[in-house]
Amino acid sequence: MDDLFVKSKADAEKLKKRIAAALSGPALKSETVINACGRLSDELAAPEYTAMLEALGIPGSKASAEIAAARRMLSREYLSYRVSRELQSPGVFTPLFCERPVRQERMPLGVLLHVSAGNVDALPAFSVIEGLLAGNVNLLKLPREDNGLSAAILNSLCETEPKLAPYIEIFDVPSTDTGSLEALCGLADAVVVWGGDEAVKAVRRLAGPGTKLIEWGHKLSFAYASPDADESALSGIAENICATDQLFCSSCQGIFVDTDDFGRVLEFAERFADVLENAAKGYPPSDMRVTAQRTLEAYTEQLEGGDKRVLLRDGCCVTAYRESVLLPAHGFKSCWVRPLPRGEILTAMLPYRGRLQTVGLACREDARDEAAELFLRAGAVRITDGRSMSEEYCGLPHDGELPLQRYTKVVSVETAGIE
Amino acid sequence: MEKRRKLFLKRDPYRAPRDSGLFLRSVRELAEYHTANCEGYARILRERGFDPAMLKTEDDLYKLPVLPTLFFKRNRLFSVPEKKLKVLATSSGTSGSKSVVGLDGRSLFLGVGMMIRFFLYHRVLSPVPVNYIVLGYEPSAHNDMGAAKTAYGTTKFAPALKRVYALRDTGAGYEPDPEGVYEALMRFSKGPFPVRFVGFPAYMYFLADALKKRGVSLKLPRGSKILLGGGWKRFAGEEIDRGEFYELIEKTLGIKRENCLEFYSAVEHPMAYVKCREGHFHIPAYSRVIIRNVSTLEPVEDGSEGLLSFICPLVTSMPLLSVVTDDIAVRHGGGCACGLNTPYFDLKGRAGVKGIKTCAASAAELIGGRDG
Repeated sequence: MDDLFVKSKADAEKLKKRIAAALSGPALKSETVINACGRLSDELAAPEYTAMLEALGIPGSKASAEIAAARRMLSREYLSYRVSRELQSPGVFTPLFCERPVRQERMPLGVLLHVSAGNVDALPAFSVIEGLLAGNVNLLKLPREDNGLSAAILNSLCETEPKLAPYIEIFDVPSTDTGSLEALCGLADAVVVWGGDEAVKAVRRLAGPGTKLIEWGHKLSFAYASPDADESALSGIAENICATDQLFCSSCQGIFVDTDDFGRVLEFAERFADVLENAAKGYPPSDMRVTAQRTLEAYTEQLEGGDKRVLLRDGCCVTAYRESVLLPAHGFKSCWVRPLPRGEILTAMLPYRGRLQTVGLACREDARDEAAELFLRAGAVRITDGRSMSEEYCGLPHDGELPLQRYTKVVSVETAGIE
Repeated sequence: MEKRRKLFLKRDPYRAPRDSGLFLRSVRELAEYHTANCEGYARILRERGFDPAMLKTEDDLYKLPVLPTLFFKRNRLFSVPEKKLKVLATSSGTSGSKSVVGLDGRSLFLGVGMMIRFFLYHRVLSPVPVNYIVLGYEPSAHNDMGAAKTAYGTTKFAPALKRVYALRDTGAGYEPDPEGVYEALMRFSKGPFPVRFVGFPAYMYFLADALKKRGVSLKLPRGSKILLGGGWKRFAGEEIDRGEFYELIEKTLGIKRENCLEFYSAVEHPMAYVKCREGHFHIPAYSRVIIRNVSTLEPVEDGSEGLLSFICPLVTSMPLLSVVTDDIAVRHGGGCACGLNTPYFDLKGRAGVKGIKTCAASAAELIGGRDG
């Protein structure tokens, strides 16, 4: 698999011609994309793909899990279901107070520039595939630390369906090459940006006022628990922390406890530390550098003293704090516990509007609905239990939006007079 | 002070002082001094149930509570009023937080004296003027990075005729200047004065590799040296093979391996370690190295990997007596083929996982980031 079409510089003039050619051809049908993805999904069953991931340094068990997830997300059923749910067209109808019918139709935005992040394997390829499903021409700027996986996937996709090739252009230009990036932005109807605030800010600077920005920024997720939450709910949270290594936007960073009594927070932290320590046994650290980092962080916090309580356990760490603030965990299976009585949820979450994603609830039955409602109003976009915080389902809105919908527009066309 | 002067101002930094209890007594007294003069430090010792009087033999040194370099990146502990600090140095923190280390007059006097003797021993100090090629940033008003200052400081070890920088200050930022470096090198190679290269190993490798590709093979004047400090990782993450590296240097520049010196130091442990020809960092008489278990921070056996920590009674202005870095290392008791008999350590890596950027950490950037 060679990266035939990865370019290291954007030649605006040539690119413009190719884009114009793609746009003037027959419209890209979602069935074409779905069928190509379906064939790719079947192909991924071959063991060489798992071996390829392992060659990129992804451990065997994780590689098989990633392949299984990719196969599911590329399957015909999965994508057809998504397209039918996300891309409904209103069709022909006579609007209120009008006499003539109009046709409203979902159309691709046109040209999407994807500026992708490197923290999830193959994310750039999936971003492009979503753009294709919505019928767009896709320009992809690879992330800095790209491992070649995305280009390989998109290459395979074009091999199985050559009709897709004119709709994909891949660029390995550094973020410092602002000339190329500006040229790419200038050709795009919308820029789809994944990643941290630096990436989002950089794109906001580069894109002209006529270019639409579609931002998938980084988010924070956490759990909310009653002080006497039962053991199985807590072990679900612990599983999420260990299984995701707290790396995803949906990963649990810490737990707010529904109390204003710090004594109860401490009790809870002790109890959760036992649960997390137990769960961590199933996920031994990959090397001592990870353990060393967690120890240094926890030990430094211990030395700093003050009101917090650092519980450094075997393979994990739980720290109880008095303040009801939202911060990322130190990672490597370390988690914070903080008080947050239900009545204060809205006020305490105010500074983090637009940053909240998933809240995993481990509440008593009588508190659950109220907590869910409050967090949704505070800006959270997904409520689950602890265990399924990072689990996806077909048609799951992403950060509160349906991606395919964001990559399209709804056009209105006056129909020829039906007198 | 008198005691510590005997410890630090020895002519041969690797020979143990005649008075074998000197090191322990210096540590104990300095621990007492910091406890009396730095409330934050006194609290830490109190909370961990430690009293300097517990230091009865050198085997007790590990018990002295160890402070992570990370602690100094987030907190300031001084045992003298800040106005008494003569120099301030800042570490370049990868995560954005930096340590600020300040030295008072007494510490500076001992430290400079120690460094002079140390570098004289390693023949780094020289009265012969040299031309410098700095493989790093040109110092400027808008750059207070420790790396730029260290590189500049290193150009004081021998009088400088000229300093050429690989990253030149344009007034608004930095621009790599490979052609400038190349031209200067060609000019210097024809002159009578030695050339010194100062900077990161990776940059030195790129330079030598570029020369090889151009088919350049120089014979730089006698006394030319390469002084390297910092990480060995190439940008892609793979380690440069040392044997191959030195061979490349000799082929392209005509500088022999014994004239390539590699240093280890940390802002929070203002001391230098030089790699011997066998590739080990030998421990001088004025510090002790303890390798600590990555989970418990208890000492591990010689030969086992763990976190690199130091004991050193040099600094009076800050409690930098017992410091643990985030480097992973192994200590060996001695018996090195290079001829030095002191114990030594080898670097094995760094705590944490590189190249991972979590969603959550980036989300926090906008919220305002971590405190401290």
